[in-house]
Amino acid sequence: MPGINCVTKAFIVPGLPHLAFETPENTPWRALQQALQQAGEEARATKPDVLVIYSAQWISVLGHSFQFAANPQGLHVDENWYDLGDFPFSFKIDRELTAQAEKLAQAAGLATRLVDYEGFPIDTGTLVSLQAFNPDNGIPVMIVSSNIYAGQEDSMKLGEAMAEAIRQSGKRAVIINCSSLSHRFLTEAVNPAKDRLSSPEDDTWNRRMLDLLKAGKNQEALALGPDFAQQAGAEMGFKGFYWMMGLLGTPAVPAEVLAYGPVWGTGAAVVSYSLN
Amino acid sequence: MDSHSANPASEEKSQKKGRILAGFLAPHPPHLVYGENPPQNKPRSQGGWENLRWAYDHCRSKIKALKPDVILVHSPHWQTVVGHHVLRVPQLSGLSVDPIFPHLFQYRYNMEIDVELADACAEEASKEGLIAKKMTNPNFRVDYGTIVSLHMLNPDWDIPVLGISANNSPYYFAHDYAQEQMIKLGEATRRAIEKTGRRAILAASNTLSHLHFDREPDIPEDMSREHVYSFEQYRWDMKVLELMRQGKTDELMAVLPEFMEKTAAEVKAGSLVWMLAAMGFPPLHAQVHGYGSVIGTGNAVVEWDLTQPTHSLPDSGDREAIVCPA
Repeated sequence: MPGINCVTKAFIVPGLPHLAFETPENTPWRALQQALQQAGEEARATKPDVLVIYSAQWISVLGHSFQFAANPQGLHVDENWYDLGDFPFSFKIDRELTAQAEKLAQAAGLATRLVDYEGFPIDTGTLVSLQAFNPDNGIPVMIVSSNIYAGQEDSMKLGEAMAEAIRQSGKRAVIINCSSLSHRFLTEAVNPAKDRLSSPEDDTWNRRMLDLLKAGKNQEALALGPDFAQQAGAEMGFKGFYWMMGLLGTPAVPAEVLAYGPVWGTGAAVVSYSLN
Repeated sequence: MDSHSANPASEEKSQKKGRILAGFLAPHPPHLVYGENPPQNKPRSQGGWENLRWAYDHCRSKIKALKPDVILVHSPHWQTVVGHHVLRVPQLSGLSVDPIFPHLFQYRYNMEIDVELADACAEEASKEGLIAKKMTNPNFRVDYGTIVSLHMLNPDWDIPVLGISANNSPYYFAHDYAQEQMIKLGEATRRAIEKTGRRAILAASNTLSHLHFDREPDIPEDMSREHVYSFEQYRWDMKVLELMRQGKTDELMAVLPEFMEKTAAEVKAGSLVWMLAAMGFPPLHAQVHGYGSVIGTGNAVVEWDLTQPTHSLPDSGDREAIVCPA
């Protein structure tokens, strides 16, 4: 699959709610927050027509779901960290692009669904991403779920189908894979200043993966993915990365790691690819 | 001010020792609410999954006859990372749309929470060394597992409720560690019920075998297309149900790890063990009101009636004397 020349930037970002609210100075969370803000600014500077989001926190079972409500709006409260604050939201879906992407994904043999329901629960990861990349919600978005039963191959196929839809539309797109790296939480109270990876092994695996991305060795990252997913407990089996590489055509482009650190024991990284 | 602390009736309850009246295995596929077409749920169906819905019907009248003060539910779809959480807002209402089956479940709920019992549960759980938290955000959206189990047990919603989260530790740590926590949580729940004087119903919101199909028929309630995922899964479900029917609680506990491994059983989330622990692992013949599959998963509505005259204390070992309910 050749590269897609209407994607300007692509990002891997964490989606935990701690990064959406004010955090103390000199904590790993603050550094990640600042990186998220920087990523958002970089993305908007390319004046995209659409933001394309894969959220590992939007888990689907009956294939891949695409958000299809014209204007999802409401108030979200995270089920774990409900005391951090609420997420009021109202944003626009690019329905034309979404319908075409869903159609192409289905034609590729994937189970797909368009979801358009009042009160549909938008996940925390999507909203954390939107806060950083689309603070005034002026940019239309396309959002796809993480199918619990999809393997890496199907995830790449999904990305390829969405790339084709973007290509056909001629729109300038920014791609966002909202996923943690290692995804093992600490299961006790955490002082933000003393947050740490759940284990040194997780940290080692995360850094090994990030080194490949920084070197532009995305093909090697794909090959390492199954081991990484298993050993580091990557969020949703690291499938978001396969989706992203399917969409981008696995370019040999080095990534810039804007920040890396723990959020409640998980491995959080803000990774930026400059493409066109 | 909460709804119970200044309530004379509540104070009266607290002065007498509470008790658990019954426990129910109360699975939560949203299909069951969809099949029933209650006014709270927007999507309309032509029925479906009657064996399970009629099983719940049997339980509804029994629950009303017991005149409980509260129904407690432990739900795998309120997943918490740090500790065990209880709903602690006097009234919670809103629209709950199932993110997995949104076309089946768009439910307007309004529930009264027993906040005094919530406080007691959290306090007793802390005494057990567990991390316990009270969910006090009034904008919190209640998960569909909690709502489906409660609706199916009491669609009138005229009995206060208490929702308890499922801590994710079974998925991070060894099975033994996780189940140990659920046993402590169950024991803490029982003490909280006793101390607050509540007459309580427990609901373990768990499916049994949990492997399922990832495609559904055009008409989801087309029962000509519904069947259990595999013969092996069915046999495991029957094995577990038979142990429940025979009151072999010790054997049931022993077989659960293998059951979870072989069938991805949702009891891994801990609801069933929490309930059995709260009831003191009664060697009591459970009544299976119904069994059926939902998109391939194995579901059973099962009752442990602790008001039976022949119900013995948990450690009495007097299994033969217990009469299986009709």
